[in-house]
Amino acid sequence: MRLYLRLLGAHFRSMMEYETDFLILAAATVLMQVVNIVFLSALFAKVPVLNGWTFWSVLMMFGAVALAEGVGSLFFDGMWSLAWQINRGELDYFLVRPYPVALQVSSAALGINGLSNIVTGGLMIAAGLAHSAVDWTPWRVALAVLLLLSSVVIKVSINLATNAVCFWLNSPSPMFAFAMHQVGDLARFPLSIYPVALKAVLGVVLPFAFISFFPIAYLLDTGSSQWVGLLTPVAAVYCAAVAALIFRRGLRRYESAGN
Amino acid sequence: MRGYRALARATARAALAYRFSLLLGMVAVLVQLVALLAVWHVILEQSPMNGFTWPQMRAYLLVAFAAGTVVSILGDFRMAFRILDGDVALDLVKPVDYQKARLAESLGGLWIELALISLVVGVTLAVTGGVDLPPGPGLALFAASMLILVPLKFLIVYVSTLACFWTQNFMGVQWARLAVVNLFSGALIPLVFLPGWLATVAQWSPFAGLTSTPALIFLGQVDGREALQLVAVQLGWVLVLWFGARLVWRAALRRLTVNGG
Repeated sequence: MRLYLRLLGAHFRSMMEYETDFLILAAATVLMQVVNIVFLSALFAKVPVLNGWTFWSVLMMFGAVALAEGVGSLFFDGMWSLAWQINRGELDYFLVRPYPVALQVSSAALGINGLSNIVTGGLMIAAGLAHSAVDWTPWRVALAVLLLLSSVVIKVSINLATNAVCFWLNSPSPMFAFAMHQVGDLARFPLSIYPVALKAVLGVVLPFAFISFFPIAYLLDTGSSQWVGLLTPVAAVYCAAVAALIFRRGLRRYESAGN
Repeated sequence: MRGYRALARATARAALAYRFSLLLGMVAVLVQLVALLAVWHVILEQSPMNGFTWPQMRAYLLVAFAAGTVVSILGDFRMAFRILDGDVALDLVKPVDYQKARLAESLGGLWIELALISLVVGVTLAVTGGVDLPPGPGLALFAASMLILVPLKFLIVYVSTLACFWTQNFMGVQWARLAVVNLFSGALIPLVFLPGWLATVAQWSPFAGLTSTPALIFLGQVDGREALQLVAVQLGWVLVLWFGARLVWRAALRRLTVNGG
């Protein structure tokens, strides 16, 4: 844990050398979220509810996706360079060090855009909660925190799993993982608007819906299958296990580029 | 001219060599199409809104998808990396004009993109039902607008990629561009849904030509003089950006330092 933060800290210091670059990236991610908010407010200016979901509850889902994505970038951005490292045979260096390979991979970079996504995502969730009628008991607060943590774990696990697919794909770029990441954007809207096949994909195959839709549906008491939200921690454990399995299987396939 | 044609062919060949990447690259635009189709289906099923019925919105989103897919193969990332690595020096010694060469490369993949667009549009129409074609003159103007969209989109991407001469961070520039284009072009939501002042700004910006103009003409929501005026704005921006890009390029070259060689 301490070592992990130290590795990230080193990247952070090197990043701070390029201050404008850092500002551009932070501004760009904030801009993306602003565009999302403008879009949502323009949409909900005309329609009060979308399948029972109000502006504020959909905003919360956008926020949850942004937050989970932000944690993934800030603390685990190195996963996205896995494809490149495999292609170049650079994984060799990690294999000879006495520290879990997956952790070395994920700490190989730090995406400062994650910080702005965490902040904007957090604000969106907070704004959504402020406009909701949840009656808060200590038990509910604890549950909300647990759901939030689980949703982050799911996002990071999916990142690891889809990036680890590069062990089989032999592509130097994380195109596959990035495409799957884009699919996750579908989960920013209530799942009930999609056809059955898509619900199955987002709920089971790539459980993006557990990052935003199910936990928030439970918390806000919206929609028809709220109890599913309680399964979020289970989904998180499942995703983490599958991701670890895929990564380990892939690592066994790894052949160096011959240093 | 032969040199440019060779560059165009190279793009198509590279795209076909990496077919899987090509398809994965389309996912982002496709996801937006699916999500927005689903959202508007639910909303417009009950009643039309701001002059949009469900079949019209479906047509609008399909035009937006087509507009988002053209000129996207092999574009900006390659150019950005060559600038950041200094390989751009090799492009400079080639006896072709840099801007025209990049345009030729972008045009090379066009027929592949058109094939993919027809496929997606065909499937969507088969699943959700047909769309009404505009009458003859409208259709001709729509075709003209889509044609102008190609150089317009190229130029917007090209100019923003030239920013790599000033910053190491191409990702940030690209994200910012995508966000602005998505909103101001009307790809995310038709401009009439935006607050008045924002819609006006977007309408006159170069980005409206990237979705809103061809889509509105296709739907017949604008016709006659108004439609011609929109296309004229589109064309005007192409000219402005084409010559503007030359100025940016000149300034960029003055900043260029390449290590080694």
